[in-house]
Amino acid sequence: MSDDMTATMIRSNQRFALRGLVPWLVFAAVLLILPFIFTDGFSFTLMNAIGINIVFALSYNMLLGQGGMLSFGHAVFFGLGSYAAMHAMIAIDDASYAGEGFWAHVPVVAMPLIGMIGGGLVALVLGWPFCRRAGTAFAMITLGLGEMIAAAGQMFPSVFGGEAGIYGNRMVGPQWFGLELAQAADVYWFIAFWTFAGVLAMWAFTRTPLGRMSNAVRDNADRLQFIGYQPRNIRFLVFIASGSFGGLAGGMAAVNYEIITPESLGLIPSGLALLMAAVGGLGVFYGPIVGAVLVTLMNSLLSDYSDASILYVGLIFLSIVMFAPRGLAGGLEHIRAAYREGSLARRLPGWFGGAVAVLLIALGLIIVIEMLFAGHGGGDTVNVFGIQFQAGGATGWLAGVAALVVGVLVMRATRKNREANA
Amino acid sequence: MLKSVRTLVTASLLLAGTAASAAETVKLALIDPLTGPMAAAGQPAFEHLKLEAERINANGGLNGAKLEIVGLDNKVNPQESLVQLQKAINDGIQLVTQGNGSSVASALITSVEKHNRRNPGKEVLYLNYAAVDPAFTNERCSYWHFRFDANADMKMNALTNYIASNKDIHKVYLINQDYSFGHAVSKSAQEMLKQKRPDIEIVGNDFHPLAKVKDFTPYVSKIQASGADAVISGNWGQDITLLVKAAAEFGLKAPFYTYYGASSGVVTQLGDKGVDRIYQINEYYGDFEDPEMAKKQVEMYEKTGWDFYYLRLSTMLDMLKAAADKAGSTDPKDLAKALEGLSIETPTGEVTMRAEDHQIQLPMFISVMKDGMKYGAEGTDYNFHKIAEIARDDVTLPTTCRMRRPN
Repeated sequence: MSDDMTATMIRSNQRFALRGLVPWLVFAAVLLILPFIFTDGFSFTLMNAIGINIVFALSYNMLLGQGGMLSFGHAVFFGLGSYAAMHAMIAIDDASYAGEGFWAHVPVVAMPLIGMIGGGLVALVLGWPFCRRAGTAFAMITLGLGEMIAAAGQMFPSVFGGEAGIYGNRMVGPQWFGLELAQAADVYWFIAFWTFAGVLAMWAFTRTPLGRMSNAVRDNADRLQFIGYQPRNIRFLVFIASGSFGGLAGGMAAVNYEIITPESLGLIPSGLALLMAAVGGLGVFYGPIVGAVLVTLMNSLLSDYSDASILYVGLIFLSIVMFAPRGLAGGLEHIRAAYREGSLARRLPGWFGGAVAVLLIALGLIIVIEMLFAGHGGGDTVNVFGIQFQAGGATGWLAGVAALVVGVLVMRATRKNREANA
Repeated sequence: MLKSVRTLVTASLLLAGTAASAAETVKLALIDPLTGPMAAAGQPAFEHLKLEAERINANGGLNGAKLEIVGLDNKVNPQESLVQLQKAINDGIQLVTQGNGSSVASALITSVEKHNRRNPGKEVLYLNYAAVDPAFTNERCSYWHFRFDANADMKMNALTNYIASNKDIHKVYLINQDYSFGHAVSKSAQEMLKQKRPDIEIVGNDFHPLAKVKDFTPYVSKIQASGADAVISGNWGQDITLLVKAAAEFGLKAPFYTYYGASSGVVTQLGDKGVDRIYQINEYYGDFEDPEMAKKQVEMYEKTGWDFYYLRLSTMLDMLKAAADKAGSTDPKDLAKALEGLSIETPTGEVTMRAEDHQIQLPMFISVMKDGMKYGAEGTDYNFHKIAEIARDDVTLPTTCRMRRPN
C-alpha cells in the first residue's frame, strides 16, 4: 500500500512537473512558428525589437514587481551592458582582422553574456548605497543615477561616442550554428534563443530562495528583519540580478541594432521599461511580456496611422494605472481565476458589457482626438477605422461625443451586473 | 451575364495594371520626427517635400516615374530610425532622406552601408538634407550618402569670411551647446578666425547644457562684461530662442551670428526682440526676391501652415530628377552614379554635388531678422533680410574623404 502511495505521489509529481512545462513548450513553439507566419523583413525587425524589450521589461519587473523597488534608472544597465557588448564586438572585429588574440575566438552570438556581465558589474559597483531603502528614496536615487550616467555619456566621447554613439559590425568573428547574422531573419534566431534563455532564467530566479525573499522584502521589510534577514542585502542581490538581465537585453540590442547611443541610458528608455511592465501587469510573471509586445508594436506602428500616437500611448498608460492597476495580465489572471471557481459564465455578461463600454469610450476619444488634431493643421478629412469624417464638420464631433456618451451609459448600465457577481 | 461581367472586370484590371506600370512610382521615405516635441523640425520638411513632389510630377517626374513621399516617424532616436529604415526597405523603398540629428544620420549611414553590402541589387540611397557633422563627408564618407546641406565647417567658413571682412568686429564671444556639435562649432570658429583675422580676440568660449537652460541671463551678463561686439552660436531649438530673448531683455547690443536663427518657431517666439539682433548663415533668406519662390512661400504657408524654409529640399528633388533623367533610370545605383559631380541651376545660383565626398557645393547667405518684411515668416511681419552673399568658392573646403566605390 505504501508503495502504491509513493507511486501515485510520483505520478502526480510528474504530472505537476509536466503541467509546469506546458507554458514553456508553448513559448518555444511560438518562437519557432512565428518566423514562418511573418516572413517579411519588417516583421523580423519588429519581432527582434520585441524580444529585446521582453527581456528588458522582465528584468525591470524583478525590481518593481518582485522586489518592490520603483526604479527610474533601469536603462543605465541596459545601456551600459549594450556598450560593453558593442566594445567587445569592435574588439572581435579588430582581432579577427589580425586573426589572433582572445577576441578572435569569441562569437558575436555570445555578446548578450558580455552585456550581462557588464550590467551586473555596474549594479554591483553602484548598487550598495542605493539599496538601504526602497520606496521614494530609491526612486529618487535611481532617477539621479540615470541622469548622471546619461550626462556622463556625453562627456566621455572616447567611451560613449558622443551623441552619435558607437557602432559595430555583427558579421565578424567565428560563426556559430551557421548563423551569418546578415539579415534581420538571421538575427531573429539569435534573439529568439536569448529571449527564451533570459525568460527561463528569470522565471527560475523567482523560484529560488532569493526570489522568494525578494517578495518578502517587497511585502514587509520590517518583519523580514525580525526573522534575521537583512533587507538591504536581499535588495542588493536582486538589484544585481536585475541589472545583469538588463545588460543581457542590452547585449541583444547591440547585436541587433549595431549601434548604441548615450540616449539609451537616459530617462526615456527607463520610462519605457516602467511603461511596459505596468501596462502588462506587475504582479504576474508574464505581465511584462504582454506589455513589451503591446508597447513595442504601438511605438513602431501607431505613428503610421495617427499624428497623435504619443498621446494614445500616454492615455493607455494612464487608464491602465487608474482603472486596471494589475495590468493586462492581471485581467487575464482574473478571468482564469473565475474559470477555476466556475463563476465565469455568471460573470461573463458583466465583463462583456464593460468591454463594449471601454471600446465605445475609446472609439469616442479617438474620434474627438483625431478631430482636434485635424483642426490643429492636418488634412481635410479624418479617417477613423475606415470611417471618413469632414475635418471640423459637425458629424465627426457628434459621432465622437455620441460614442463617448453611449460608452459611459453602457458602463453604468452593466456596472450593477458586475458588482452583483463580483 | 456574370461571366461577361467577370471578364470585363478582369480586362479593366489588366488595363489598369499596364497603365500603372507605364507610370511607375518611386517612393522617397522621410525618416524624421513627425510626432512629439520635435515634430516642428520634421513636419515642415515633410510638407515641403510633398508640395515639391507635386511640382516634380507635373514636370514629368523622375525619368517619367511618379515621385511619392512617405513619412516615417523616428522620434529623433537612432534605434527607432533603424526600425523605420527597415520598414521602408521592406516596402520596397530605395530612397530615404533624413535631416534632424547627426546621431540619427550616423546610424543611417552605417546601416545603409551595411545593407547595401549585404543585399546587392537592392541598394538604398540616403539623401541627407540637414545633418551637418563634417565627418559624414570626410573620414566617414560613404558612397551611398549624399549631403544637400553645407556642413558645419562650411557654414563656419562662410560666416568667418563675412566676419573677417567686417572691420568693426574685434572681440568675438562663442556660446554653444555642450555636446559634440557645439564643441565642433566652437573649435572651427577659433581656428578659422585665428587664420583669417588674427587681430580678433576670442573673449569668451562658453558651453551650456543642451536644451536644459531656461534662463540665459547669467551667460548674457558674462557676454556683456566681456565687451564682445559679436557672438557666434551654433544653438538650435529653444536654446537659440531663449538665449536671444535673454540678451534682448538684458539690453545686450552685440549681434548673434547663428546657424539656426530662422528655424521654425524662433521668429514667433522672439518677435521684436530678434530684430537687428539675430543673424543667420543659411542657403537662403526671407526676402524671396525670386518671384517663383515668393509664390511658393505664400502657397505653402496657406496650405500647410509652414514656411518655405528648406530650399535645399527643393534643390535635392531637382537634382534627383536631373540625375534620373540623365541616367534614364530610377535605380539607386544609377542615381548615385549620375548624382556624382552633377550641377544644376537653382534660384541662388549654380550648385554642384562634389563627386569626391558627395558634399553639395553652394553659395550661402548672411541675413538678419527685420520687421515689416514683404513675406513675413510664420504669419508675422518678421523675416530674415539678406545682407551678404558668400560665393561658392568662399564656402567650399577640402575633404579628407577616401571614397570606397562599389566594384
